[in-house]
Amino acid sequence: MQRSALPWQIAFGAGLLVAWYACGLLFGVAWISSPALVAGKLAGWLSSGAIYAHIMTTVTEMVTGLLVGVVLGAMCGLLLGMSRLVATVLRPIVFAVYSVPLVSLAPLLLMIFGIDMLPKIVLVATVVFFLVLFNTMKGVEMVDPDMVDVLKVMGAQWHESFRKVLLPGCMVWILSGVKVALPFALVAATVGEMMAARRGLGLVLSESGQKFDVTAIYAVLLILTVLGLVVAETGARLESSLLRWRRKSD
Amino acid sequence: MGIGMAGDAASGTMISLRSAGKQFSARGTTLRALQPLTLDINAQEFVAVVGPSGCGKSTILNLIAGLLRPSEGSVRYDGSEVTGPNVRVGYMTQKDTLLPWRNVRDNVGLALELRIRSASREAAAARVAQMIELVGLAGFERHYPAELSGGMRKRTALARTLIYEPETLLMDEPFGALDAQLRLLLMDQLQRLTQLRRITVVFVTHDLAEAIALADRVVIMSARPGQIRRIREVPLPRPRDIFKLRFTEEFAQLYEELWNELKDEVAKGTDNR
Repeated sequence: MQRSALPWQIAFGAGLLVAWYACGLLFGVAWISSPALVAGKLAGWLSSGAIYAHIMTTVTEMVTGLLVGVVLGAMCGLLLGMSRLVATVLRPIVFAVYSVPLVSLAPLLLMIFGIDMLPKIVLVATVVFFLVLFNTMKGVEMVDPDMVDVLKVMGAQWHESFRKVLLPGCMVWILSGVKVALPFALVAATVGEMMAARRGLGLVLSESGQKFDVTAIYAVLLILTVLGLVVAETGARLESSLLRWRRKSD
Repeated sequence: MGIGMAGDAASGTMISLRSAGKQFSARGTTLRALQPLTLDINAQEFVAVVGPSGCGKSTILNLIAGLLRPSEGSVRYDGSEVTGPNVRVGYMTQKDTLLPWRNVRDNVGLALELRIRSASREAAAARVAQMIELVGLAGFERHYPAELSGGMRKRTALARTLIYEPETLLMDEPFGALDAQLRLLLMDQLQRLTQLRRITVVFVTHDLAEAIALADRVVIMSARPGQIRRIREVPLPRPRDIFKLRFTEEFAQLYEELWNELKDEVAKGTDNR
C-alpha cells in the first residue's frame, strides 16, 4: 500500500499546480496568482535576505513563548494536580480565563507591552501555559496510586516518590500538551504580528494584504506552511525520543 | 525502622491482628470492608488467605503494610503497632505496577535507590544482577515492561520486591493473571525462595489449590463483609513438590474439606452482588 501511494501523491500535487497555473491564465493573475509568480517572489526574497529577519522574529517569539509557557504550565499543573485545595480554589478562575479566546488578548497585550516581540511572546506563553497546565493536571491525576503505595512500603520518602513516580508519569501528558501547543504557538505569534509589529511573518502577511499583493500572500503562506510542518515534526521527534519506552503498536 | 533481616531462629508472633476491622465512609454511607478479626502469624510461617471477591483479603494486607489504619482493633508487627507504611515488608500487588519508563534492571533496583537503604552503586548493581538471575530473566535487563510478557513482568515484580530482603512478604493474588503452567513454576520458585530465606508470607488468593500447595496454614474468609470462617493447618511435609502435590491423597482430602467451607461463601458472594 505504501509503495504505490507516493507516485499518486506526486501526480496529484503536480496536477493541482497545473490547475492553479491554468486558472491564472484563464481568470487573470490579479486574484489567483500562479505558481510561477509565487516561486519568483520567494526566490527574490530568499536571495535579497529581507525575509530572514521576519522568519527569525516569528520563530524566536514562538520558541521563547513555548519555553516560558511549558515551564510555567508544568509547574503550576503539578502544583494544582497535587493539592486538592489549591486546585478547587483556583479551578473556576483558570477555566474562566481559558474560556476567553486567547488570541483576543492580543490588543491588550500590545497596549501593555508595546509592539515589539514581547507582547507576542507573552501571548504565545499564555496559550501554551493553559494547554500544558490542563494536561499536566490530568497527568498527575492519572498516576497509579498502587505504584505510589508500593514505593511507600519500600520506604520511599515523599520527594522520592515525586521524582521517581509522579514526574516521569506526568511526562507523557506534559509532552502531549506540548505537541498540541506547538501549532497554537505559531498561530499566536503570527496573529499578534498581524495586529502590530515591527518585524515578523504576520506583519509581512498583513502588509501584503493591504497592498493587494496576492503573490506575496501566497509566498508567506507557503513559508508558514513549511514552518508549521517543521514544528509539528519536531514535536513528534521529541515525543518519540523521550518516550522510547512506549511500545510501538504493531 | 531499619532494613529487615531475613528470619531469625526464634519463631514468635510476627504479625498480630487483634479485632482489627476496617470500614470506609464516603458521602454519608459507610462501607464495611473487614469485620473485626483476630489472627496471629508466626515468623517464617506461610499463611494463605482464601475467600470470595470482596471479602476483605486485600484489606488485611493493606493493614499489615500500614497503608490503611484499622477502624477498630490493632495491628501489630513484631510487637509494635503499625502506624505508617511498614518498610519491613515487601508488597506484591495484583497488577504488577512496574514503572513503564524504566527497564527491567532499573525497575528491580528501585528499592536500592532509596535513601533508606543507601547501598553503594556497585553493591546495588551486583544485587540487581543476582536477583534477575534468580528469577530467570537474565538477558532481559534492558527490556521495558511493555516488551515483556505477563509472566516476565510478574517475575520482575517479584525480583523488585525481594531485592531488599524484606523479612515478610505480602502478596495479593500475584499469580492470578498467569496461565496454569507458569503459575506452577512461579509457585515452585516462590516456596523455594521463601523457605530458603526464611521469609514470613501472607498470601492472598481466590485459588484454594494454590493456597493449600503453598501454605502452612490456610485461612478461609467468609463473603463480604469478611470475617474468618476457618483456619486450617496444612500438615504436608516440606519441601513440597508443587507439580506432583495435586495428585496426592492428602492434598485431595484437604482440598475437599476446605472446599466445602469455601463454596458456601463463594455462593453467598455471587448472590450478594
